[in-house]
Amino acid sequence: MKTLKILVILLIGGLAISFFLGMLDHREHKKLFAERPVPNKEKINKKIEREISTTKGYDIGDAATDFSLKNTDGSTTSLKDFEDAKGFIIIFTCNHCPYSVAYEDRIIALDQKYKNVGYPVIAINPNNPKEYPADSFKAMKERAKEKGFTFPYLFDAGQQIYPQYGATKTPHVFLLQKEGKDPIVKYIGAIDDNYQDANAVKNAYLENALQALLSGERIKVTTSTAIGCRIK
Amino acid sequence: MMKLKILFGFLLLTVLSCDQRPTAKVVPIDQEGLKQVLVADNEKIKVINFWATWCAPCIEELPYFEKIGASYKNQLDVILISLDEAKSITTAVQPFLENHQIRSKVLLLDDPYAAEWIPLVDHHWDGAIPVTLIISKNKKQFYNKALTYDELEDAINKFL
Repeated sequence: MKTLKILVILLIGGLAISFFLGMLDHREHKKLFAERPVPNKEKINKKIEREISTTKGYDIGDAATDFSLKNTDGSTTSLKDFEDAKGFIIIFTCNHCPYSVAYEDRIIALDQKYKNVGYPVIAINPNNPKEYPADSFKAMKERAKEKGFTFPYLFDAGQQIYPQYGATKTPHVFLLQKEGKDPIVKYIGAIDDNYQDANAVKNAYLENALQALLSGERIKVTTSTAIGCRIK
Repeated sequence: MMKLKILFGFLLLTVLSCDQRPTAKVVPIDQEGLKQVLVADNEKIKVINFWATWCAPCIEELPYFEKIGASYKNQLDVILISLDEAKSITTAVQPFLENHQIRSKVLLLDDPYAAEWIPLVDHHWDGAIPVTLIISKNKKQFYNKALTYDELEDAINKFL
């Protein structure tokens, strides 16, 4: 009986101390990290759809679909608007993803270099702003203005387009070339192999593919993988 | 007397159910380090999760890995591999581990050439995170998606 009493007191004491120590560690912190996405009803239904959609998407040689999407400049943009283009550099990208942000300057440079020879960049944000508030259309407009995007930055409202292409992450590139009426998928993957340092790139996958298309040669590397932020 | 016994039992349970492991300290690794992590262990099942502090769906599932690691601590070795940049260890990763009281083993893969090491993890991996790899000495399973706690527990049960 006495031992039990002592044990209980010891345990209560121990708990109280650990509680107190835990409280001491309760400081306020800055928002350094990704916010937890707010769960919403759509998500549950979407989940099943998405699992199916990840198995689909384009392969090299497939004809890509055209679209009509809201542009941050207030217009609506489709591939058919670019009559003189030989093809397109379609990049699924967004505001919130650090990998996308790391590539913004490189995307602008690609557009400036290849638009004039027939391959403009078309950027598409595929994310649901309910999952990532930083990827709202309003935030897209702000980012496009801030960075001085020289290319259309489109919003995949309702998330109809990215599953058809088979994009799974940002950034995710689809290089298209017009053959007859249809734009044909020629390269799928990353811009290059080093998101941290443009000067330390070993394989400039996208530029190599573009150079091959321009000189009428076979693209040696038609797909590549890189880390990115999962589209939600 | 009886009441005391019940109280004692209850308190003992409370104390034992607390996760007593210390908060993790992030350890940077290179491609060689990753190769070692990917080798199966003879005793324990390795549960390897790729995440980053900026990745919202990753942050959402981290508590499940913490919980499963504590519940099956004799059978599992939970390893969380951060893909944050090495320069953000002191500014983001370590503060995150302390804020969220993460107690699993945490490594940081410091190598931007992902195309070189993504296929080492799994050839189905498209590079999106989060992903999870479970390895035992005679089995391997890769999940190219975020997991719920139930999905994670089901996945583990296939290995136990």
